[in-house]
Amino acid sequence: MSDVANRRTAHVVDCAGVSRTYQEDAVPVQALRDVDFQFSRGEFASLSGPSGSGKSTLLNLIGGLDRADEGAIAVDGVALNRLSESELSDLRLRRIGFVFQSYNLIPVLSAQENVEFIMQLQGVARGERAEQAVECLASLGIAELARRRPGELSGGQQQRVAIARAIVTDPVLLLADEPSANLDSGTTEELLKLLRRLNHERGISILTATHDPMVMSYAKRRVVLRDGAIVEDSAH
Amino acid sequence: MPIKLLLQMSLRNILRHRRRNGMMLAAVVVAVAAVVLMNSMIRGMQQDMADAAVENLVGHVKVLAPGYRDDPGIARNFALAGDWRPPDGAPEVAGWAMRVRVPAVIMSERGTRGIQFVGVNPAQEGISFLSSARMVGESLKDASDGRIIIGQALAEQLETGLGRRLVIITQGADGLNREAGFRIAGLYDADGEGMEGFFVFTGVGALQEMVGAEVFTELSIRLHEEPALFALKDALVEVFTGLEVLDWRELEPQAAAMFVFADAAVLIWFFVMMGALVFGLVNTLVTSVMERIRELGMLRAVGMRPRSVVAQVVIESSALMLIGVAVGIALGLAAVFAMGDGLDLSLWSEGVESFGMRTLLRPVPLVDDVLLIALLSLGLGVVASLYPAWRAIKVKPLEALRR
Ligand SMILES: Nc1ncnc2c1ncn2[C@@H]1O[C@H](COP(=O)(O)OP(=O)(O)O)[C@@H](O)[C@H]1O
Ligand SMILES: [Mg+2]
Repeated sequence: MSDVANRRTAHVVDCAGVSRTYQEDAVPVQALRDVDFQFSRGEFASLSGPSGSGKSTLLNLIGGLDRADEGAIAVDGVALNRLSESELSDLRLRRIGFVFQSYNLIPVLSAQENVEFIMQLQGVARGERAEQAVECLASLGIAELARRRPGELSGGQQQRVAIARAIVTDPVLLLADEPSANLDSGTTEELLKLLRRLNHERGISILTATHDPMVMSYAKRRVVLRDGAIVEDSAH
Repeated sequence: MPIKLLLQMSLRNILRHRRRNGMMLAAVVVAVAAVVLMNSMIRGMQQDMADAAVENLVGHVKVLAPGYRDDPGIARNFALAGDWRPPDGAPEVAGWAMRVRVPAVIMSERGTRGIQFVGVNPAQEGISFLSSARMVGESLKDASDGRIIIGQALAEQLETGLGRRLVIITQGADGLNREAGFRIAGLYDADGEGMEGFFVFTGVGALQEMVGAEVFTELSIRLHEEPALFALKDALVEVFTGLEVLDWRELEPQAAAMFVFADAAVLIWFFVMMGALVFGLVNTLVTSVMERIRELGMLRAVGMRPRSVVAQVVIESSALMLIGVAVGIALGLAAVFAMGDGLDLSLWSEGVESFGMRTLLRPVPLVDDVLLIALLSLGLGVVASLYPAWRAIKVKPLEALRR
C-alpha cells in the first residue's frame, strides 16, 4: 500500500486514457479523447490550444470538479474515480488550490477573510489563521488591502487575493484556468512573476490553462491540446 | 465545518440585501405579532367562557346525588354537616357552597313562571356570580333569611318589585306539594338574561324548612386554578362514595366544547398566518440563493461540503425568523398590554352573551402559547429553508461557476 502510494506520489497528476464526452446537447461533444498526462512535483506547465480544445475540461477533471467517462486520474497518489463527492470536496480543500478566470471571491467577506475562510473550512485555529492570511497577503504585496471587500478592489488586486486564497493552505497543486483573461498585460506580467516565484520558492506545482502567449512563456513546460487530444508536450 | 464561519456568512448575506430581507423581516414581525395578539384574544375569550360557566352556580366541581341531573328535585339529596370541609390532601380551593336547588313555580298577581329555586348560604356564595352581581335592594343576610332575591328580568315578567310578596310552589321531601309566600329582598342583574329569569334565591335554611328535610342537593366547589381540577375530583370521589362528582366540563358540555375549540383555534390561526408567510420566505430564500449560485459553486469548488451549504441557507432563514419572532412577540405583547382593560364588545352584546361570554374581552397572553409560537415559527423557518437549500446544492459546482 505505502509502496504504491510512494511510487504514485512521484507524479502530482497522473492521467491515463482519460476521455470526457458531454451529452448535454443532441450531438455529443467529445471534449477529451484518451488523454495520457503526467505532471511532476514542482513543475510549472501551461495547457494551451484553441478555444474548445478541452483545456478547462482537463483542468476540471484533475481538480475533481468533474468526472471522467473513461480512464483513471490520480492526484497526489489518490485515485479520483473511487472518491465520493464529499471526499472530492476534502481533496479540493486540502490538496488543491484553484484560481479561476473570474476570481470568484466571496463579496461579503474582506480580502483577509476570503483568504482565512479556506483555513476555517480546514479547521485551523483562529490566531494561526489570521497570522497566515496576513503573511500570505503580504508576500503577494497586498497587505494593505486586507480589510477591503472584493468590490473595492481592482481586477488585478482581486486575482492576487484569489491566488492568496489558493496557496495559503500549501496545496500540492495549483490549478489556474485562464488566470490572465481579465487582466491587462502589465498586470498579467506581475501575476506571472508572482506565480514563478511561488513555483521557485515554495515548490508549488502549477498547471495553468491559457491561450495567452505571455503565460506560456513563463511556464517551463508547454502542453498543447487540439480537439481533445494532446498534440505537443515540450519543455523549455 | 466551523459553525462560526457559517453564522458570519449567513448574517452578512442577510445584510447584503437589506431591503428584501427587511421586507421579509417586517412580514414575519407583523405575522407573529398578529398571531400573538389574536392568540391572546382567543385565550381571553376561552377563559371568559370557562369563568362564566364556572360562576353560573356550577363551580369547578360539583357533588350531586345520583340521578339528580336527569330528574332534579329534593328527592335526590344527600346530607352534609354544616361544618364540612374539603378533605385533607385535596388541592387548595377558593371556596365551596352547599345548596338546595329544586324546580318550582313562582306566582305573582300578574303571572306564573317555572324557576329554579335555590337555597343558599350567602356567606359561601363568594364563589358564584351572586356575590358580584349588581343588586337593587338588599342581599340575603344569612342562611336562614326567609326572603327571596329574584332577577330583574323575572321581576319584569311578573310585573312585580322590591318588597312585594310572591308565592312559590315546590315539592316537599315527602312528595307532597308545598306552597309558601316570600317577600322580595332584592333584584339582581346578571350578565346573562337567561339566568335572571331562571334563578330565585333564598336562605338555604328557609328552603330546607319548606321542603321539610335538612339535606342538600348540591355541593359546589371552586378552585383557584383550573389545573388542580382532577386532583380535587379524585379527592372528592374518595369521600363521597355513592354520590356523583362532576366537573364543569361534564356539567356544561357546550361551554367545554367551545373551550376545546378555542384550543384548536389557536393552532389553526397560527398555521393560516404563518403558512402564508412561509411561501414568502421560501421565495425570498430561493431568490437569494439563486442570486449567489456562482458564489456557492465557488465555495463548493474550493472544498465546502454540500451539507455546509445547506447549513448556511438554514442558518440564514433561521436568523431571519429568530429576529422576526423576537420583535414580533415583543410587538404582539405590547399590543396586548396596550389593550389592557379589554375590548368592549357590548355593541354585539346579545350575540356574545349567548356564547356565555362577557361583554368585555380581555386578552390573556399565556407563556406556553408564546413559547409554542416561537418554537413553531423557528421550526417553520428551518422547514422553509430546506427547499432553497436543496436548490443551492442541486446545481453542480462547475455549472454554478459557469453562470
Ligand atoms: N458543460 C458542457 N456541456 C457541453 N459541452 C461542453 C461543456 N463544457 C465544455 N463543452 C464543450 O467541450 C469542448 C471543450 O471545452 P473546454 O474544455 O471548455 O475547452 P477550452 O477550455 O479549451 O476552451 C468544447 O467543444 C465545449 O463546447
Ligand atoms: Mg476554457
